[in-house]
Formats: sequence, structure tokens, C-alpha cells
Amino acid sequence: MESLFAVLVGVLVAAGVFLLLSRTIIRVVLGLAFIAYGVNLAILTVAGLRDEAPPLLTLAGPYVDPLPQALVLTAIVIGFGTTALLLTVALRAYQVAGHDDVEAFGDGLARNPDAPDGQYADPEHLSPDQPEADHEARS
Amino acid sequence: MSGIMLSALPLAPILTPLGLGVLLLAPMRRGWQVAVALASAVLTLLFGLSLLGVTAGGAVLVSELGGWPAPFGIVMTADRLGSFMSVLAAGCGVFTVWLMAARPDPVREKHHSFALTSFLFAGVQLSFLTGDLFNLFVAFEVMLVASYALAVLGSTREQLREGFRYIVMNLSASALLVVACGLAYGTLGTLNFAHLAQRSAALGPNATVTAVGVLLLIVFAAKGALFPLGFWLPGTYPALPHATGAFFAAVLTKVGLYALIRVFTTVFNQDPDLPNTLLLILGAVTMLYGALGALSQREWRRILSFTVVGSVGYLAFGLGLGTPGALRASLAYLAVSVAVTLALFLIAAVAEQAGRSRLVRTRGFIDVLPLLAACFLLCALTVAGLPPTAGFVAKYGLVRAGLEQGSVLAGVAVGSALLSSLITLYALLNVWRGFFWGRRPRENPVGAVPWAERLPAYLASALVAALAVFAGPLLGYAGATADELKNNTRYILGVLGSRPVDLPARPKGDEVQQPKDGHTPLPEGPP
Repeated sequence: MESLFAVLVGVLVAAGVFLLLSRTIIRVVLGLAFIAYGVNLAILTVAGLRDEAPPLLTLAGPYVDPLPQALVLTAIVIGFGTTALLLTVALRAYQVAGHDDVEAFGDGLARNPDAPDGQYADPEHLSPDQPEADHEARS
Repeated sequence: MSGIMLSALPLAPILTPLGLGVLLLAPMRRGWQVAVALASAVLTLLFGLSLLGVTAGGAVLVSELGGWPAPFGIVMTADRLGSFMSVLAAGCGVFTVWLMAARPDPVREKHHSFALTSFLFAGVQLSFLTGDLFNLFVAFEVMLVASYALAVLGSTREQLREGFRYIVMNLSASALLVVACGLAYGTLGTLNFAHLAQRSAALGPNATVTAVGVLLLIVFAAKGALFPLGFWLPGTYPALPHATGAFFAAVLTKVGLYALIRVFTTVFNQDPDLPNTLLLILGAVTMLYGALGALSQREWRRILSFTVVGSVGYLAFGLGLGTPGALRASLAYLAVSVAVTLALFLIAAVAEQAGRSRLVRTRGFIDVLPLLAACFLLCALTVAGLPPTAGFVAKYGLVRAGLEQGSVLAGVAVGSALLSSLITLYALLNVWRGFFWGRRPRENPVGAVPWAERLPAYLASALVAALAVFAGPLLGYAGATADELKNNTRYILGVLGSRPVDLPARPKGDEVQQPKDGHTPLPEGPP
């Protein structure tokens, strides 16, 4: 059982890393989700895996350690929140750039700091790619 | 103070910004928002100071959540190091809220930038005061989720670009932290710092424990921006608004460094050779990387961000030396670095406004802002480590400890420290020459900077000067903290009590518990 899970964790993390190295933003997000699942399974494996061994003291034993399951629960909730946030950022970048390649974010080190980079892109307003006049016309 | 008050005190700096942050989510006028946010920051600082006062004698305060004693329940622990860091972070928080209040930003404030800043404070305080490895992960996530939101709030193109990189980098590091927590639990059967320390001491030097330690080193190196993993930092911090950028720069990398200090002194101190060697190498490279990076940039806050990277390198160097003297100097340098980074970013906030550009371009501002020029010179000398500043005192201690330790690697690191100090000095004097010195061209108008925005920069610089004047007490406190960290029995006894922790025997399955309400237990066998 443990070796099966070890292989499973390895496959999940490998798939996650492969996706993470992609140029498409949504694949990066999915890759991080894969890694998070692999990690959660790893914690579950640490507790020891046995058939017919519930983490409940009201049932007849043998028992597994319930603590890693609580840890996994916390990790799942946190992973859910961060994935949602990352998806929002990805969506925003897609709206701004019109495509979902990481090129949407550009390579920043040699840019002109006085370019219109520092404009607001409020959800209620137009994206920063629009000229300044449109911002004022809308607001 | 009474016992109940004392046992609740480590929770106070965490719950205050958390609760007031939730309150800040409610719609209210800007004046009220500013008042509540300022109250949250100031109250956190006051609670932090009282923690510092109580733990100054070497007491270890413990808050047991839900009344469950360590190691079974989650505990909040405040020792000398924790309360020291708590005060530093809370002090930076007050300046941040002040600058946010002085510089209205309707778009970001509409999307709860005050509340998010308060949550950020709560996360930072939680990471300094928690006594549990998994809770440290939760604290990091609370802090980072707030910082992710602040990093992309306003969603300018630059913020999206740098924010995405920042989020992806930190999420990967967090996944690694969860794995390290799982492995630590699998090897040692506990996650409480004190209990981990006790059990790893009972186990002796062990390859698996060392592996967990190195895994944690990678995680915290990524969060604290040590060399190969710190590429995200110099881009992210300049993309933020000035006020939050100052807090990020001054405190967030230091949280990673705090975790490194905690893990490698209090918890896994059985087999220090491998982590110390890694820290020395990474520290030596990071110092040079930060100094050369600062030299290569032409923008105010990019230059300063690279000096932050450099300061992380010095701290890793001090921690990697591993002697009590080096630890003492690193803790003093930690305080100096937090104060001077805060001051420099606040100075940059004024300078960018006055020069109407993010570039260090227009010269001759010494005529317009003479006091700011004086503050910048003081901070530049502190970062470079020249006398008569506090930076000199701390760096002198580090270099002396490096020479005393005497290994070849330490010698190389000392050389790197001295060389990168020199390069940093040159980079910062370039800023001085390019912005303050010389004759101001007539055609460039000076942007108006109100007093309310200038005052935080001056006060933070005064704090840097005060650290130089009170370097003696600072070093004394740092020395006491280093002694406490080197000998972790006091921490273990403070958290676990004097009795040895007896874990119940592994359950066999015949001790079925009767539910309290009189129902018979469920039938046996798999459901």
C-alpha cells in the first residue's frame, strides 16, 4: 500500500512540475494544484496506511494516527484558497493581455519605468492597456 | 500581571490585528478606517513590548489553545527571540499604516488594503509566536495570502507580472514545507518545537532528521530570498505601493530568517555541520549577489531591494558560523537591518515623490530636502557598515566571529562580506551622487511632499541613529537571546513543563471508548 502511494505521489508531483514549467498560465496553476495533491497524499502516507483501521476511537481498533488527517484537511483548505487567488490573478492577466501565455507578464528588468505601467486596472474600470482617456471617460 | 493575563499574552499580538482586520472589512468612512488600522498597529506594538518586558528575564510564556497542554495541543510560545521579532515587526507596522494614511489611494482602499495589511500583521506575528512546525506553515500561509493580495491589488501590469512570479514561487516553497512537516512527524512523531527538540536530542544525530532540516533550509531560503531562490524579490518589492513595500522589505524576508534561526538553534541542533556549511556558502554568495545587483540598478527601490538581499546574506553567514558570538552579532544585525531597510524605503517614498520619477536621475536635492539627505547618508553608512553607525557594530561582530571560527569557508565568507560591504557603499554613494549631490536643473519641478509623508522617514532614520547610540543594550539583549538559543533546555522546560512527556502506549483496539450519552458503541467490524 505504502509503495503504491509513493509511486502515486511521485507521478503527481512529476506531472505538477512538468505543468509548472509550461508557458501557459493555466497549466502553471494546474501544476501547482497537482503538486499540492501529491503533497497531501504524502502526509497521509506518513501516518501509515492500513485497511480496516479507522482513526475513530468509538470503533474497534486497530487505529491509525488521526493527526496527519487533520493536517491534510488544513493543507487542502489552504491549497484551495491559494489556488482560487492564483486563478483570479491568471484571469486578470488574461483580461489585460488577451492571451494566456506567460508572455502576458513580460520580462521586466529592462523596461522603461516611465511607460504607463503603473496605471490602475480596477475590475470596474478598463484594463491598463487602454489609453488614459478611456479611463476618464468611463469613470 | 496575573497568571491568566500572562498565559493570554502571547495570543494578544496575533488576535488584535486579526480581529481589527475583520472589523476593517466593514464599510466605513476613511477616517474610521485609518483610526482602526492605526489602533491595530499600535496595540500590536504595545502587546509586543509587554511580551518583551515579561520575557526579558528569560521566562518562556506559553498559551495553550483550548486548554490542551503541549505537545498534544497547539501552543503559542513567546521566548526572548519571539518577542524581539514581534516588537520589530509591530514597529514597522505602525510606520506602514502611517504612510498609508498619509497617502490616500482610493482604488486600493476600496478593495480593503487596510484590512489586508492588518491580516498581514497577524500572519507575521503568528509566525514569530507559534510553537509548532505545522502552525508555522499555517502562519506563513496567512501572511503570504495577505501579501499575495496586496502584491496584485490595483492590478497594474507590473504588479500582475511580478505578483504572479511571487505567488508561484512561494506556493512551491509552501508545498515543500508541508512535505517537511509530514516527514518530521513521520520521523519524530510530533510537531511541537520543544517536543521535536527533545525527541531529536534523544535520537542523536540522525540522517533522516538532518534531511528534514535541509529540506526546511531550502523552504526558508526561498521565503527569505537566499541566493538562487531569491530571484523574485528585487522585482516584486518595487511593484508595490510605497507603504506596503516598506513593510514587505523590512519584515517579510526576516520571517524566513527567523524560521531558520528557530529551526537550527532551538529544534534541530544535533547535527549542525551540513546546514551550517550550506548556510555559509549561500550567505557568502548572496551578499555578493545583493551588492552587485544594487550596483546594476538605476531605480530607487530596485537598488534598495538588492540591499535587502545582501542583508539576508549577512544573516545567513552569521547563522552558518554557528558560534555564540556569531549568533549574537546576527541578532543585533537583524534589528539594525529591519530598522534601516524600513528607513530607506520610507526615504525612497519621499524621494520618488519629490523627484517625480522612480529613477535616481535628477540631481541637487540636497538644497530642497537637506534633512532627507542627512537621513539617507546615515542609512547608507549603516547598510555599508561604517562607523559611527549601528551597522558597523553589528558587522564588526560578524566579521570578528568569522575570523575567530577560523575555517577556510568562514574566511572566504568574511572576504565576501567585506568586499560586498564596499560594493554596497559604492552603490549607495552613487544614489547620493545622482540624487542629492550637484546642481539641480532648472527645468525639473520638485514634487510637493507633505510633512505627514516626510515625518515617518525622519523618525525611522532617528530610530536607526538610536540603535547606534544604544548599541550596548542591544548587544546585551542579543547576547542573552543567543545564550538562550544555544542552550534549548530552558525553552523545552518552559513549553513542556518539568515532567517528562509520557506518550500513551499505542492503542491495541480493545479499549473501545463508551460515548458519554449512554449509547452503545457502533457494531464492530468494517462498516
